[in-house]
Amino acid sequence: MVMLRRTVPLLGALLLSLAGPTAAQSQEVRVYSGRHYSSDNAIYERFTKATGIKVRLLESNDSAIVERLRSEGLNSSADVLILVDAAKLANATELGLFQPIGSAELMRDVPLSLRDPKGRWFGLTRRVRAFAVNPKLVNPASLKTYADLAKPALRGKLCLRNRASVYNQSLVADQLILRGEPATRAWIRGMVANLADEVYTSDTVMARDVARAICGVGVLNSYYVARMLSGQTGSADRDSAQKLRIIYPNPVHVNVSGAGVTRHAKNRSQAIRLIEFLTSSTAAEGFAQASFEYPLQGFGNNPILSRFGTFTPDGLSAAQLGAKAKAAVKLMADNGWQ
Amino acid sequence: MTVSWRQNRLNLMAVVVLISLLALVPLLALGWDAWLGREPGTSLSLGSEGQLQLQNTVAMVLGEGVLGGVLGTAIGWLSAACDFPGRRMLRIAQLLPMAFPAYLQAASLIDWGSHQGLRINGLGWAIAMLSLANYTYVFLLSHESFSAAGHSLLDASRSLGVGPWRSFWRVALPMALPAIGAGVALSAMEVVNELGAVRLLGVPSLSAGILDRWQAEGDAAGAAVLSLVALSIVAFLVAAERLLRHRSRRWNLAGSGVSKPLWQLKGWRSVLAAGLVALPPLFALLIPALWIGSGWEALRSPGSAELLPLVWRSLGLALAATGVTLGAALLLAIVRRWSPQPLVRQLSFVAGLGYAVPGSVLALGLIVLGGPLALSPLLLLLWGYGDRFLAVSKQGLDAAFERIPPSVDEAAISLGSSWSAVLRRVHLPLLRGPVLVGGLLVFVDVVKELPLTLSLRPFDFDTLAVRVFQYASDERVGAAMAPALLIMLFGLIAASALIPSLEKR
Repeated sequence: MVMLRRTVPLLGALLLSLAGPTAAQSQEVRVYSGRHYSSDNAIYERFTKATGIKVRLLESNDSAIVERLRSEGLNSSADVLILVDAAKLANATELGLFQPIGSAELMRDVPLSLRDPKGRWFGLTRRVRAFAVNPKLVNPASLKTYADLAKPALRGKLCLRNRASVYNQSLVADQLILRGEPATRAWIRGMVANLADEVYTSDTVMARDVARAICGVGVLNSYYVARMLSGQTGSADRDSAQKLRIIYPNPVHVNVSGAGVTRHAKNRSQAIRLIEFLTSSTAAEGFAQASFEYPLQGFGNNPILSRFGTFTPDGLSAAQLGAKAKAAVKLMADNGWQ
Repeated sequence: MTVSWRQNRLNLMAVVVLISLLALVPLLALGWDAWLGREPGTSLSLGSEGQLQLQNTVAMVLGEGVLGGVLGTAIGWLSAACDFPGRRMLRIAQLLPMAFPAYLQAASLIDWGSHQGLRINGLGWAIAMLSLANYTYVFLLSHESFSAAGHSLLDASRSLGVGPWRSFWRVALPMALPAIGAGVALSAMEVVNELGAVRLLGVPSLSAGILDRWQAEGDAAGAAVLSLVALSIVAFLVAAERLLRHRSRRWNLAGSGVSKPLWQLKGWRSVLAAGLVALPPLFALLIPALWIGSGWEALRSPGSAELLPLVWRSLGLALAATGVTLGAALLLAIVRRWSPQPLVRQLSFVAGLGYAVPGSVLALGLIVLGGPLALSPLLLLLWGYGDRFLAVSKQGLDAAFERIPPSVDEAAISLGSSWSAVLRRVHLPLLRGPVLVGGLLVFVDVVKELPLTLSLRPFDFDTLAVRVFQYASDERVGAAMAPALLIMLFGLIAASALIPSLEKR
């Protein structure tokens, strides 16, 4: 017990010292982020170098940081909230976690469909729900829209990620808006009937199985295949990815990661500067290079991404997708999408 | 003297009430939040989805309970009572499987399998992986019990002509049942709230269902129903463990200074024993080794400038959490000892419930609670660890306390000792083993803990486990490997520091 009495305060002091300087510094911005790519750090460092504003970061999963920001309310020390997925951004907006910012630079850099119309959040990067096709099993020309995935011709040839994937949830929300509930329900049932194997929990594993001709087509975000092609995950993955063709359906479902200034931000102007930097073309290049996402406008100049060709977005807004998110998940659950 | 004793008991009661409240409040806050946020018309039934999740969770609990229980008991017995080549090393190595984060274990196995054209998915794999990750609980508690309990009884039974096997079944096993039961219950609770690995293996489980219903479907009430189902499974486990313990209640003074010769195994028996004991640690090492063998091109190690701060934070948090948790568990155990009233027993049961709740759900409860109060993130984090891992240190302590005959306490009191003196001079020396084992388990658990750390930590406070998760969730197994191996190394260091000292008693 005596030992305990001595060690507890000591440990407390140790922990505090590990947390680093806690006093509010004038030139810093505190970020809650749902993105976790090691490459993001390089971009924050570039921001600090350019502006002298230090970025303090807390990366966690989306639902935890949204809940944390919500319950912290006025007490929160977060200035910027970064989230991945349109529906999550819309949800955070609805919860009143953001404040509107009127920045001419942001209005100019971020297209209307990729930001909140009232300026409460702004898109940073785009990710595209694509088909990875093995031409040996499926003729790539036969797949033109998402609806084609439910065709009986694909029986036993389709691979899907699980329902828990937010990108699938947003894709279903997208189809709900564009095609209505009866058609979307039939589409989900058709796809479930077409499955070659149980749904996957990882895009990379699924892409390998398409390359191995276990399935003819897999639905994924194109950046996973781009990363395999880059050789970052090894030469075996590069060889696998070379057997794949990436098809962008027309029109394509585009998802975003985005950032906004929190309602109770203590460092508002620094927060705006960070978001302006992140949406500028210099940062966009950085994002696209490192994580193989698409910039807000155009298709970037990444040689691997340019191999995939161009696409036409269906233009739905995050608010629209967000409004249908819960209905989409329910529809998936009720119709056998595990 | 009677007055001060009554005062002491009241103080102790107050402590128990406080600890149980601290453990319960996050869950209550969550229930309250769910109640406020409920949407009209949400149904409270399990639904076919919920039934499937329940079935899978029960199947995993049973499968892991049997597989992990048998494995842990066998290895515990062999390494406590028998001698064979490599026994000391192998005993320390038993902590390896537990010290490697299960989600990365699953991710690397899935990733490796997919390179070989092998789909690692589904219930069978989940049971195998969970048994590997959690049998250590059974091993540590049963080993401690086997080596402490009744060697003289065993010798007596052997000298009466009972064979080694029958001695094991008729004497050693019944005496160790409370500890084995506690270990199986702990590992089964770990299974109930395991999220990452089970989800990666594509098994719909209650823990994932709770989070999905809540976060993705916005159905807080439905999530609360699933949580209640998960809680009842755990309550059942705890009750079963209690029952077992009562049936086999035998008091025995541990390690009363008699040296305990081990049974020397010879020939094929010693090879077999060494092989069985080596199997789980080998598997635990084999999985990352296989991955590294096939995926070395993708192996990335962050520089030491990045790794060192991660290491310090992980260690600092784990040490602090171990102190907090052990202290609370010891207090609870003492009060149960001195005031064995039903209320105390129930409260101390409630205090252990945090272990039954998936870490991500507990994290949400603490967020809901801590945000409006502006509590410091580190304080919340320690609170969360304490809540979550109290049961880990408590189970072993309770079982060990029951081996100390009450006559010892009575003798000490009659000689004029206060409860704190009895604790310091009698209980703690006798409980050194279980306290060390409990502390070790909590330490390793905290170093690899993810959901609480991920959601409650302060700015710029990544830990090894957080970094492992960030890379693994981005499907970069190669980059996650270095921090994960470091976590494993700490488990190993902690084990090699503690396990030999258990022997010297």
